[in-house]
Amino acid sequence: MLLLTCPNCGERNVAEFRFGGEAVKRPAPEDVNRATWADYLYLRRNTNGMQREWWYHTPCGCWFVAERHTRTQDVSHTAFWSPEG
Amino acid sequence: MSVKITGNNRRLPTARSQTINRGKSIQFTFNGKTYTAYEGDTIASALAASGVTTFSRSFKYHRRRGLLCAAGNCPNCLVHAGDEPNVRSCVTPVSEGLKVRSQNAWPSLERDVMSLTQLVDRFLPAGFYYKAFMRPRALWPYYEEILRHAAGLGEVVPATKPGEFDKVYKHADVAVVGGGPAGLRAALAAANQGANVMLLDSEPALGGHLRYATHDIGGQPAYQYAAALAAEVAAHPRIDVMTNTTAFGCYKDLWLGAVSGDRLIKLRARALVVAAGAYEIPPVFENNDLPGVMLGSAAQRLVNLWGVRPGTTAVVVSANARGLHLARELEQAGITIAAVAELRDQPEAGLITAINAPALTGAAIVRANGSRHVESIVVRAGGQERKIACDLLALSTGYLPANELMLQAGGKVAWDEALHEFLPSSVPPGIFVAGEAAGAHTLADIEREGELAGIEAALKARYGDADAQARRDTLAAQTADARSRRVAWSAAEADNAAGKRDFACYCEDVTRKDIQQSIDEGYSSIELLKRYSTVSMGPCQGKMCNTALVQLCAAHTGQTVRDTGTTTARPPVRPVTMGALGGRLMEPVRLSPMHEWHVARGAKMMNAGLWKRPEHYGDPVAEVRAVREGVALIDISTLGKIHLHGPDVPVLLERLYTNRWRKLDVGRVRYGIMVNNEGVVMDDGVTAHLSDNFYYMTATSGGAAAVYEWIESWLQTGWLLNVHALDATELRAAMNLTGPFARQVLAKVTDGVDLSNEAFPYMHAREATVAGAPALLLRVGFTGELGYEIHVPAGYGLCVWEALMDAGREFGILPFGVEAQRVLRLEKGHIIVGQDTDGLTNPLEAGLDGLVKLDKDDFIGKTSLVLAGERAVEKRLVGFTMPDGTLPEEGNQIVRPGKGPLGLEIIGRITSTRYSPTLKQVIGLCWLPAALAEPGHDFTVRVRGELKTGRVAALPFYDPDETCLRA
Repeated sequence: MLLLTCPNCGERNVAEFRFGGEAVKRPAPEDVNRATWADYLYLRRNTNGMQREWWYHTPCGCWFVAERHTRTQDVSHTAFWSPEG
Repeated sequence: MSVKITGNNRRLPTARSQTINRGKSIQFTFNGKTYTAYEGDTIASALAASGVTTFSRSFKYHRRRGLLCAAGNCPNCLVHAGDEPNVRSCVTPVSEGLKVRSQNAWPSLERDVMSLTQLVDRFLPAGFYYKAFMRPRALWPYYEEILRHAAGLGEVVPATKPGEFDKVYKHADVAVVGGGPAGLRAALAAANQGANVMLLDSEPALGGHLRYATHDIGGQPAYQYAAALAAEVAAHPRIDVMTNTTAFGCYKDLWLGAVSGDRLIKLRARALVVAAGAYEIPPVFENNDLPGVMLGSAAQRLVNLWGVRPGTTAVVVSANARGLHLARELEQAGITIAAVAELRDQPEAGLITAINAPALTGAAIVRANGSRHVESIVVRAGGQERKIACDLLALSTGYLPANELMLQAGGKVAWDEALHEFLPSSVPPGIFVAGEAAGAHTLADIEREGELAGIEAALKARYGDADAQARRDTLAAQTADARSRRVAWSAAEADNAAGKRDFACYCEDVTRKDIQQSIDEGYSSIELLKRYSTVSMGPCQGKMCNTALVQLCAAHTGQTVRDTGTTTARPPVRPVTMGALGGRLMEPVRLSPMHEWHVARGAKMMNAGLWKRPEHYGDPVAEVRAVREGVALIDISTLGKIHLHGPDVPVLLERLYTNRWRKLDVGRVRYGIMVNNEGVVMDDGVTAHLSDNFYYMTATSGGAAAVYEWIESWLQTGWLLNVHALDATELRAAMNLTGPFARQVLAKVTDGVDLSNEAFPYMHAREATVAGAPALLLRVGFTGELGYEIHVPAGYGLCVWEALMDAGREFGILPFGVEAQRVLRLEKGHIIVGQDTDGLTNPLEAGLDGLVKLDKDDFIGKTSLVLAGERAVEKRLVGFTMPDGTLPEEGNQIVRPGKGPLGLEIIGRITSTRYSPTLKQVIGLCWLPAALAEPGHDFTVRVRGELKTGRVAALPFYDPDETCLRA
């Protein structure tokens, strides 16, 4: 079972977490058109490699960003979200 | 020339390693006959001691099969023991009164009619599943039935009492799998560096292969040497020894699955030493499956562990030093060695001369002969074929290093031409392979590699100092040059053999010819060959056959073994009972603070997610009437309750809900719906503005966790709002006091607030003291009557509930449950998100368009709803009645004549329906095409196979002017 490092709580079994999907940026409402909105909702890169993604640690309520390799499952980095990305 | 199988008592005067206690006898039965065993016997050792040689019938041809590995690796001795099928009798301790029977034989093990399939085997070629039974397709169910009966592996007895299975979570700095000399050394080395070590071994005692060997090691027999080492390990304060424990899976980040009896162990380690040894494997030759043909280690285990004589006259086929040791040990146990057939040209001279039997060097096995049991063997040596009589053929010709755990974790193995073994070529980080699993064969190498792996593992787990690193470097430098060489059985010769019944795979009864034929049919890639021929797909999971499969494939295709590669290792390493994997059901249950009260009043409880809720207290109709005409109280502690603090809460609410929230005065409550990014309704509820910067949100019972998570996701990932959210669901008990007399009842126990309709109108919130408890009152109306939700700290819940029930007694108050509430809300036409809506429902269709304010700056899902609003609404959620009084079922389909089964086309469905005692008619909610959704339209609904008429009705059914609600 994968070990994930919650930025609050440290290493925990993946069973304590919920996967939140690829980290995508919600387009600003003023920039939205049909195409950008459809991309935001449905279009994912589906990377075979390192991917930036959301995770939620259920016990502490923390959402964070993880860099995970989709094939090897190696997680190189987890951190709180920051506006700098 | 043949040797008769002798007598019933095959027990030797001594068992060298004293596993059995001859002082204590145990009686058990096998196929109805009573047998005597000693304490310490396994089922198979006791049967073998009594002269039983046939343990099972083979999978396809129903051939007799006897003990092959006697170590829990092969399928030959699977039996039904007690109430459990597919028990490996060779490693399962026998117990008093145990009822054991054979499997896969009918009518009996001795006379199995299915063995006649041998005579028609040309109809059962490789891939016969895919060929013989495909056409006509309609007959497949019959074919399947016949095949299942013919091929059955064990049988589940439905009457079996469910077992108790446990689960335990363990943590270790270093996990060591395998308690042989390598594992023992590794455990000691790691523990001596300070690491906490867990040592797992599937055998009942530590020692590995030395446990059943008697050759001399430094002046003492091997088993004593091993016992001394094991005692040192067991006494070490930092080593936790778990015997009878099989590590069956290695998952990401060194998460190990192991099973110990009925207990599943989930072990997380920082580093793993795989020292699981090697499986001895049989060569492929004609009739290699006859009872009496067994692995050298099996004969050795029988003799040394359980004091059982596996035969009287033996031929030992050897390709390594262990085979020669074995011949000597069998001789010492009083077994006549008819010959040693040594496959190597130049075996260890000292070992050969120690045996008082003719040795044929450079030998090849041609075939075994016999019908019920092996009677002789034909070997070729020096250009001559020789037939040698024997009743035991012990095969010590090769090994498969036990690297499954390392492979499951992502490691790789490659064929070693010198050793004829698959050895680790790439080992995942954190895993260290030692001993026979890594290809070491001399004891010195095995122990040195064990120590090295132990130090490496300790260093990986952040123990050890510079001295440890120096020791590691020293050991690593030594190991490189000390591998012993040996040659195993060669498939190249077997490729041209004439035999018909030379089995590569014992589990699935697949012969060398079957493999060759599969390759000839085009399945030459090893993974395809495996699937098509089913070799290695049986209970042994390739332990006995995989090496032979790869070698035979290479020989027949002309590729090298290295290029041919091997098949993928997947968990479990050994069969694990489903019960152990399933474990005990550990469903958490959530209980309201008033739970015991409900139970004591005879409430019928129902599951609502993890919650238990009263469905009703015996008479839901009376409960509905109490709400409409008197007063009643319902426990709504399951509601999601979220505290929202901070100056930006209005902005948050504005974006979460589809309606307007900027101007909600203190003391006001508003209803809202949340949609997701796709504009699909995800939850609904009310939020109260309690004081400056403090709002109180409620969410549905089922949606509470998701709504909190949803809010946190927006707060933590981009919106940068100054809001703090707290999930207070379990911090507060909540109840809804509702009915025309609700105000009078509440007034009796409430201080600090004016409850009059003028001072505390509908959709307002107040803080007050109720029955002495600090309470939050929300005047809302899910039931459609005057009602107050009373939210108090959880610890006060029961006390406030009882006070309200007392206060309401003079008004005939009743508690009511979920069933009555469903009727009440349906009379009001309120939807339940998730029941009346689904994963595609947008609020425009669900009659919630009044709550969607597309002119707001932004809210989650706005863009999707703007786009949806550009299309015509195709379907609508509407109310309906049933003029003839039929009560449909929720989920019934609304149909019209058209293309489809029964000449009907499905155009909608019923999502909620009840008989309304208030309105004295059947009411409900349903989805209809927009064109048919006007009140007064009739539609057809299929109810229990009959077509009935429903009529669209305006919502709400009850109190459309809201006079009751606002009273």
